[in-house]
Parts: sequence; structure tokens; C-alpha cells
Amino acid sequence: MPLLRVDQLSKRFGELVAVDRVSFEVREGEIYGLLGPNGAGKTTTISMLCGLLRPDGGGVLVAGRDFWSDPQAARRIMGVVPQEIAIYEELSGRENLEFWGRIAGLAAAAARQRAGELLEALSLADRARDPVKKYSGGMKRRINLGCALLHRPRLLLLDEPTVGIDPQARANILEFIRGLVREGTAILYTTHYLEEAETLCHRVGVIDHGRLLAEGTLEELQRRIGDARLFIMEGRLDGATPDAWPGFREQFRVIQQSERQLVVAATAERDPADCLKQLLALPVRLENVTLKRPSLNDVFLQLTGRELRE
Amino acid sequence: MLRILLVKDLRRARRNPVPWLVSLGVPFLITALIGLAFGPSSGGGVGRIKLGLVDEDDSALTRMLRGGLNQEEAGKYLEPHFLTRAEALAQIDANKLAAVVIIPKGFTRDYLTARAPVKLELVKNPAESIHPAMVEEMAATLVTGLNAVARDLQADFPEWRAIFAGDQDVDLRTIGRLLENAGDRLHVARDYFPPLVTYEKATVAGPPAAGLGAGETRGIFAFLQLGMAAMFLLFMADHAVRDFYRELNLRTLARFRTLREGLAVFVAGKVAYAVAIVLLGAVILLGGAALVFQFTWRSPGALLGLVVAYALFGAGLMGFVAAVAGHERHADRINNLLIMILAMAGGCMFPPEQLPGFVREHLMPLMPTAWFVSAARGLQFGGGPAWTGAALKLGLVGGVLVVGAAALFRRRLAKGVR
Repeated sequence: MPLLRVDQLSKRFGELVAVDRVSFEVREGEIYGLLGPNGAGKTTTISMLCGLLRPDGGGVLVAGRDFWSDPQAARRIMGVVPQEIAIYEELSGRENLEFWGRIAGLAAAAARQRAGELLEALSLADRARDPVKKYSGGMKRRINLGCALLHRPRLLLLDEPTVGIDPQARANILEFIRGLVREGTAILYTTHYLEEAETLCHRVGVIDHGRLLAEGTLEELQRRIGDARLFIMEGRLDGATPDAWPGFREQFRVIQQSERQLVVAATAERDPADCLKQLLALPVRLENVTLKRPSLNDVFLQLTGRELRE
Repeated sequence: MLRILLVKDLRRARRNPVPWLVSLGVPFLITALIGLAFGPSSGGGVGRIKLGLVDEDDSALTRMLRGGLNQEEAGKYLEPHFLTRAEALAQIDANKLAAVVIIPKGFTRDYLTARAPVKLELVKNPAESIHPAMVEEMAATLVTGLNAVARDLQADFPEWRAIFAGDQDVDLRTIGRLLENAGDRLHVARDYFPPLVTYEKATVAGPPAAGLGAGETRGIFAFLQLGMAAMFLLFMADHAVRDFYRELNLRTLARFRTLREGLAVFVAGKVAYAVAIVLLGAVILLGGAALVFQFTWRSPGALLGLVVAYALFGAGLMGFVAAVAGHERHADRINNLLIMILAMAGGCMFPPEQLPGFVREHLMPLMPTAWFVSAARGLQFGGGPAWTGAALKLGLVGGVLVVGAAALFRRRLAKGVR
């Protein structure tokens, strides 16, 4: 049974459809990545999953029970790490952890003990008494994460938890998250970083303009493009008309076309050397042709017609 | 839960004390400045005015006017020096006098023959500003009064002139008749003296008020500090309640809502925080003032009860305005203005007697600041409304405003406002 099931979730702000019939599920011991650019609807989705916003349509099941039938019970199961660093800068790291532990329902002694464990696990024990305002960005992010873990949630909702920190701090946080998954925690992880989604998530849902465009494992998503290979042709392509090239449409699918670049994928499994030979024979002046495995960005490109980084 | 939230907020306040120190320090400063300038230790308001009087007419009438300057009431404010013109001008040059009033020769004759409106000469010391201006006002008032009397009693003036000039023996019966005539006319004219639009209110005699300074030489500090406290405690309540918006911006409120269902406990926590801050502030402002300015609060228990109710009112009002304003910056502006209006119309900044009649009689009774200040001053000086009634009203209004604020915040958050 999935720990989180989202079914046809929708939210509208006036004329703007922020989330449009989004459905997915997250299982125990799994990281489900919600990948999309800023404004795609990721945070609105998370806000509905944790009860900050009431959905206009659809439902959310947490551990098999409708969230709104017993919101407090659902909240005991889940922990939420907001995108912003939602902690008190005047308080120390330990005070923040203990406070959020008490709010989550722990007794004072239990909150104190759990805060100590988390400070160790997050490598912050030596700075536990310092006010958070004296922490580095990465340390604040770690405390921000820790504040959601006091009550040992089985389901963790992480909303872009590594935004704005250096690669080393990001690697530490990602490693910590992998440790949580090994212990069986189910994680919903929103991000607009392709590398994070590719290396961290077991399954990824691609979201844009409030709609879930595709989901699956990285391999499943790559297969949507075709045969797991892309040919990137560079040269003078401003007047190129692939539709007019004889037999081209039967053999290749255009992923992206610009004045300098044409990205195509073979429509069926074929020898790359044959494909390359055929492309070089096209009636255009090419300066370079490269072959690569499709990334999530390519998937996003194919699904939306634009790059995730734009 | 409330205690956990309160401890957290008080810790945060302790780590960032500057806004609170400003709110606590300013009332002390203002009270000290005003108290020292106008309080009993200053020797009585602006001090006695050193006034030179040159009587070049030297008649019975002018001798009477000169005598008036030495009378008890005038003596409180004036320190008259009777000099010749040359002496007086020399003392002005030496900065020993604030002003010189010269009664010119022929003053009595001109006055009693009604040849022309009477005139006094005034020489002001240019090195001073307040005292000469006061003398000028007094001289103008005197001249206006004399001219008004002249118009009313002109028929009797020949006889008066004869008496003052010593043309006839002083006949006491004649003087008695003239005085009776003057009294009758002034009595009849009394109805025409007040302005066309008047404002009167009958007051029921209450127990005699001790009044400022009656057996309480430091009373002015207590009087002022209560008014200052009423105003600055509202500023503190405002700052404490607006922490709600800071939590909204920090997203800590959102985090709270991911862990706890409902907003009531969070709003209650902020109200408790505001009440605690106001109470702490009141203890420092009122207790500290008693220590610094060396007076004692006569009913500290009742005053504390009143302050608790006022704190609830302050938290409720500021919270309600903040919820209506919808944004911390807007709430800040509105609340600053509102507090100033409440403080002025509520008699916090000025003694109520100094307020315009309309404000004093119609607006002030509606001002919760006035409920607090008048009841608190009543506890200290006597004569005010019962503190229990004031506390009840403040608590009730505060409670209603808190509920309203909570409902408004809840509605805003439900709409997804961040």
C-alpha cells in the first residue's frame, strides 16, 4: 500500500489553474521526485498534501486514509520541509529542534533527546548552542530539515530542500536523505535540479503549468524519447526543413530545433553508426554531430518544448 | 501548548531587545523632561516674571493697579519692580527684567474722561521670548478690560474723576452709591460677556481630589508616566502582535500548521505573548518610574489588575487592526496613527482639562485609553472612575477584538495568502 496517494488533485487561484488533476503515489522506502520549473505547481501541490491549502478537487490519502477525515492523524505521520528556511534565527539550533519537537507532540524530555540525536546526525552538535543567525546557509538548511524529523515521520515532504547552498552542503543533505530512505521513510521530493532528480529519485513525475506530464523511473522516462539515444547536430540550420527531407520522418523524431542545433532521436532501435551515416548525408551543412543518452532535461524538452533551465 | 509558544516568543524577544528598549526608554525620557520642566521641583511652571512698572501718572487709579500686582494671585506669577523709566530701561538692557509696562502721564484723566481708548506702553526684553510674550498678553487683557468697564460705567465717571482728582472731599456715601451702581451694571452685563456659543456641564461633587502635588510632591511624574505608559504599552502590544506577520513571512507559521490543526492556539499564543510583553513593559514603566522619580503607587494591586485588562485590550486592538490591514507594513502605519489618536483623545498626552471641550466630553469617554488612564490616575490621585468597571470594559472589548482578529487571520490563510 502506498503511504501517500494523490488522486486528481486540483487547485485554482482565481483564473489561474495552479494544479490540474495531478495524480501519483509514494511508497515506503521510495523517493518520488516532482520535477518542474519554478511556478510549475510543485509547492502548491505540497501545500495541499500537508493541509496548508484545501484542494478544489481530488483527494489525498495518507496511509490509506483521507487526509481531511483526520488531519491531525495524517500530520503525525508526515513531516514537511518547506522551501524557505522556516526556523527562528534568534534561537539556537537546539532550541529550534526542541521547540518544533514540542509542537509535534513530543514531551519535553523526548524532544530534548531527539534534538540531540538529530544534531549528531546532521553534524551540528558542536554548533548546537549558537543562534541560527550565525549559521552558514548549508547549516540552516540542515536544521530546517531536522525540524521536520523530530516526530520520526514515515512520510517526508521535501520542497526543494537544497536551494541556494553550495555543492558540498547539498551532497551532505542528499546523503542524509538517502539514509532516511534506507530506514524505510517515504519521501516526496520536489526540485528543479535535474541532477538531483536523476541521482536521488527512484521515480520522477514531470510537472509543468500545474499538470503532471509524465512519470516513471529514469529509464522509463528516457524510453519515452526513443531507444535511449539522442543525436545532436550543430551547424547552419536556420533554413532546414526536416519534413522535406526524403524518408527522414520515418527514421527520426525531432526533439528540438533551433538556428544552430537540431536534436533528433531514432524512432526504432537501430545501429547508431547507421543513424549517424544517414544524418551526415542530409542536405544541410553540419559542423558537428554528437551522440548522447537522453537526460531528464531532454524528457522535459520533449514534453514541454522548452528546457527546464530556461 | 500556549506555554511552549509563549516561552519561545519571550526567548526571541530577549535575544532581540532593541525594539522593546526603545518603547521602554522613550516614556521615561519624556516623563523626565516634562516633569523636570514643569514639575514641583522646577519652582512652579515657567517661574515668576520679572516685570518693571513705571507709573508716570501716579494717580489713585494707577496706585490701585500697582497694588493689584502685589496681591496674592498675581504675586504667584509676577515679580514686580516699581521703577522710573530710565531705571527700567537700564535694567532691560542689563537683562534683569523680562518686560517693562509704562503707565503714561494723563492715563487716569484720559480714562475717566473717555477721550480716547487707554494705552499702556510696553517694552519687551529682546533677549527673552516666553515671559515678554506673557506680559504682552496680560497688558492687552488689562487694556481691553479697562475699556470695556469704561464703556459700561461712563455715566459715573465724572464723579469718579472728581474723587480720584481730590476735587471734593471723599464722601463715603457717594463712593458706596457709585460702587453699588458699578456692581449692578456689571451684574446685568454678565449675561452678555460669555460667547454666543457656550458649553457647560454640571458636575456632581465627588470626594475631594487630592490633586497633583497635594502631599505628593512627585505626583506630576506619576500623572505623566501613566499617560506615557498607556501610549507606549500600545506600541509594545502592536510590535508583539505584528510578530504574527513575521512568522507568516518566515514560514514558521506554515510549518506550525503542518504539525498542528487549527490556528486558534497560535493566535492565542500571540495574544498571550502580547499580554506578557505589555505586562512586563508596565512593570518596568510604572515600577521603574516609581523608583526613578521617587514616588509610590497607592494601589499597586488594583493598578496591576487594570494593566492586565489594558494589555488584553491592546493585544486585541492591535491584532484586529493587523488582521484588517493584511500586511505588516500597512498594519505598522495604521497602528502608529491609531495609537497617537487614542493617546491624544484619551488624555494620555495632555491633562484632560487641556483638551477641547468636544473631545473631552464626547470623544474621551469612548476612548479605552481614557478608561485606563482616568481609572489609573483615579487610583493614584482619587476622583477617577472605579478601576473594576474600567478593567471589565477593557477586558471585554479586548476579548471581542481578539476573536475578531483570529477569525480574520483564519480567513486570510484559508485563501492561501502567504
